[in-house]
Formats: sequence, C-alpha cells, structure tokens
Amino acid sequence: MDKTTNAITIGNVLRADIRSFVVASRIPEPEVPTFGTFVWVPIQQGHSKLIGLVYDIRLQDDPFLRHLAVSVDETNPQHQEFIADQRERAIPVEISVAAVGYCNEDELYRYGLPPQPPMILKQIFVCTPKEVKAITQQPDWIRLLLETRDVPTDALIARTLERSAGLYGNPGTKEREAYLIPALRYLARYMTREPLRLETILQQIKS
Amino acid sequence: MHTSAIMGDMLHLEQLKDSVEALSQKVVKSHQQRTLELETALRWLEEVPDSNTLREQVKAAPDLAESAAIPATDVPLNQRITQTNAVPKETAVVAVDGSQIAPDRHAAVLYYLIQVGGLLFRYNSEAPLPFAKANLYHEDTDLFDQEGLVITWQLGLRRTVAEIVYLAELTKIAHKVAHPSPIIALTDGPLLWTYRNQRDEEKQAFATYMEALTTMQKEGGMPAGFTERPGGNPLISLLALSKKLGPSKTAEQERELRTLTDHDLMARFLKPGQRSAWLQRSSEMNTQHAHHGHRIWFCYINVGEPGYPVIARLETPEWAAQQTTWCETLHAVLVQQAEVLHGNPYVLARAHELALVTNKDKAALDIALQQRLFEQGIESHTSEKARQKSYLSWQR
Repeated sequence: MDKTTNAITIGNVLRADIRSFVVASRIPEPEVPTFGTFVWVPIQQGHSKLIGLVYDIRLQDDPFLRHLAVSVDETNPQHQEFIADQRERAIPVEISVAAVGYCNEDELYRYGLPPQPPMILKQIFVCTPKEVKAITQQPDWIRLLLETRDVPTDALIARTLERSAGLYGNPGTKEREAYLIPALRYLARYMTREPLRLETILQQIKS
Repeated sequence: MHTSAIMGDMLHLEQLKDSVEALSQKVVKSHQQRTLELETALRWLEEVPDSNTLREQVKAAPDLAESAAIPATDVPLNQRITQTNAVPKETAVVAVDGSQIAPDRHAAVLYYLIQVGGLLFRYNSEAPLPFAKANLYHEDTDLFDQEGLVITWQLGLRRTVAEIVYLAELTKIAHKVAHPSPIIALTDGPLLWTYRNQRDEEKQAFATYMEALTTMQKEGGMPAGFTERPGGNPLISLLALSKKLGPSKTAEQERELRTLTDHDLMARFLKPGQRSAWLQRSSEMNTQHAHHGHRIWFCYINVGEPGYPVIARLETPEWAAQQTTWCETLHAVLVQQAEVLHGNPYVLARAHELALVTNKDKAALDIALQQRLFEQGIESHTSEKARQKSYLSWQR
C-alpha cells in the first residue's frame, strides 16, 4: 500500500470490532471522506492492513460554529475571512467504517473478517485508485457487506460498484462492462431470494 | 437516605443549602453596595481633573502609587474613544493560546505536555492560517525541581513563556508573508509579567519573555494582552486618591469604594466599541519591564453589544501605544473580531481551539505511550488510586 496517500488523522477510536469501527477526528471539510470511500488502517502492529468502506459520516455538534452562525453573514464583505476560515477549519466528525477484508505483508487481499480490529491509530488512509482497482478485482469484497448488519448495505454496494466501475471506464465502454458483469453476477448469486433488493441495487449503477 | 444519595450524585447539595443562601445574600448585598458606589465613581470620573494634575497628585502620595493607575497621556481620563473606521485592508493579526497536560505521578508514565496554537488572520478575503505545536517533556530536568519534587507552579510559567515565544514566531511569519503595519499580536490574558521574579526560574523566564517582546518590536508587531472581565481597581484607586487630595473635601469624598471594580465602572461608562484613555501602573513589575524597554500601558475597551457590555483590559507596550495609527488599528480589529462572537475576539477563540488538549486527547496519548512500551516488553499502568478515580469519572 502506498503510505503517501491521503491520510486522515484519527483523534480517538470510539468503537471497534472486527466487523466495523468508528473513529472521531477533526479534519477540514474538504478532506472529509465520502460514503463508499475505500480506506485502510494498519492492524497487528503494522504487519497487516484492514480494508474497509466508509458507510457513515457524522458531523458532531460544533458549539463554536453554532455560536458563529448567528452573526456571520455570507454577503457581508467584512466576514469573508471568517467564512473562509470556517471552511478550512477542522470540524469534529465521526467516521464509521465497515471491514471488507485485509491484507498481510504479502499484499494479497483476503476477503473476510480481519484477524484484529484497529487499536489506537495514528491515521487511516484513503486508498488510491490503483489500490481500489486491486481490491475490487475480485468481487468477494461484497460478501462481508451482505453479512454485516447496521450498515446501509444496499446503498453502499451500489455506490461502491458505481465508483469503482468509473476507474475502468465511462458507461458503455468494454472495460467497464468487463469489470461490472462479474461483480453483478456475484451479487445476483447471493441475492437469488431477494430479486427486488437486487433490482434496487442494479438501478443505481449505470452500465 | 437523601434523594441525591439514591440518585448517586457525588455532591451533597442538601448539605450546602445554608451556604448557598448565605452566598446569594452576600452577592445581593454586594450588588446593592456596588450600585451606590457606581454612581459616586461615575460622578468622580466626570469631574476628574486633567491628566497633569492627576500625575502630580499621584506623585504627592507615593504610598498609594502602586495601587493607583497613572494617566499615560494627556487625553482626559473621562474621554470615551470611539473607532468607526473599518480595519484597513491587508492588516495582519496573529493570536496564540496554550494548553497543557500536567505531570501526574499516578499516571503510567511521568511526563508533561505544552501545546500552543495560533492563527494568522489577514484582512485579505483569504482563509487565515492555523498553527499548532506540541512539546512533550520527559527529562528529569524538566519534571523535577531542585528539591527533587515534581514541578507544579513551574508549568504555568513555562506555558506563559511558550505562548509569548510562539507569538513572536508567528509575528515573524506574518512579517515574511506580508509587511503590514502593524502586525497585531494578541494574547489571551495580561501582557504584564505576572510573576514576582524571586526564583531563578522566574528570572530566566522573564528574560526570555522580554526577548520575545523585543523580537515582536523588531518585526513590526504590536503585542497586546486581552483580558476579559479584568479584576482590580487601579482606575478607581486613582479617582479616590484624586478626590482625597482634591481642593475641597465632602463626606462623599471620605467614602471608600470598597466593592467597585474598574470593570463595573467601565461597563457603565463605555458604550460598545469605545475604549478608555491609556493608563499605566508604577508597579515594581512595570519598572522591570521599563528596564527592558517594554513598559506596559493599559486601557479598557467595551467589545460587547448595547445592553450587554463586555469589558476587557488591553495591555500593550508603551512604544506601541504611542503610535496613534497602530492604536486605531488595534481598536478597530478588536471591535470587529469580537462582533462575530458576541464579545470574544475570533482570533483568540480560534487560537484557543487550536491549542486545546482535551481529556480525550490525554487519554489517547497515554494509551499510545503504554502501547509503545508494551511493544517493547514493558508493562506500565496507572496507580490503583488513579484507576479507582477513573471508575468514578465516567459519570462526568
């Protein structure tokens, strides 16, 4: 994994188990990760990496901003610096991540529960497009999500497939089809008894 | 069993019922007394003689000189100074604050930490630049005093020095980025050194403090200490002294203003956006400041809103306060910065936020330390006392 990728500094691990974890952090608004972003975190004292998907981002109560919001006026030229500062200011967020697999020092991906949840971390890393392509090369990353509760699984799978398909090509291209078709077949196999649910997911993906 | 005990509260409020009543009565009585004294003080202020006369009166009563303020300029003491101009474009403001983790002999590892935070705010429509720096101290020379005891009062002293040194660094950065004049360099609290310089460490720290002020002077900075809700009554002491030495004595002049503070007086006297004339103290500490070329002047400013005064004491070196345009810029900056946060200057609030070390941060640091030690084969843990306290603190 490329350690020079975008890194999010974690303040505290609030809750963690081998299926998911929640971290609290303060990061500038432009750097807040989006729903369906692949991230990785070091586990087992840095010997392995847990691969996960961001499935929830909560902006925590920000009394400072609340106090400021009453008096700052976007149309007031004398307030431009305050507004610019607030946009760059690190805001308190909670980021929830669902585990989809892990890899050891051999850099081979294993799609299943990781051996250990993350402990107190310095950083979690946003995966590069190259890393996302490597992770999603096999559709097995979907299986753990289907088994995970308390996660908006359908929306997460649809969003992740859509975003990762974009790395292979625009809608209608052969490369994109070559990626999506095996993934959708995989999904269909696991959802044979839930055709409506499958259809909902498919409708969110542009072929 | 008392209700509060059943609910598991730690503070037995029912035992404090009489004390709460006594305290509230005291506050009411004090408020009534202050209201009477306020009318007297306001009258004294309106009738105050010119600044030269006041300075002569202070000279004539040297035993009262240390407690009374002295007019620093010839501006009448009862003049309210208003600043209606907008902050000039490209004005630069730097502000710092500090936070700390105290050494705890019950912790798993003995250390202390000082974190300073700062903001470089420029009036150029761009986002301000945030800064922060944390230092972890763990050497024996940092942690223990000359008698081998874990440091206590020294931490506040070192933090004060860390803040002013950081303020000087940010002033240098602001000077490199642009060359505004002045660079307003704000700190939360007094600028006048608050330690007595009786101990060696205090003397060394004072020298470093003075160097930082000198650095800011060289870099075009205007250091200013902002103390909201200041205590003390040097101005009232001056008014009382003037009345006492005045040409005619009345029964009123003999009355001592026992409860009134300068804050109370200025909250009535100054309208929002106004400041008082510059004053100074002839205290021993200000004399030491003067030896280094940094005698401190102060004034009061109201950065509140109509019906809600927010009075702060503003301190700045004499060499800065003597620059009229600098004072106007400082005044305009404070009023504008305080407006968006209802009396608390924005840059100081952000500096505080950037410096802040929370209990959660401390817990994360402690865990990281313990984890690293564990990886190296060392088991460390808190004392049993600390562990027991932590069981109780989860309720907070």
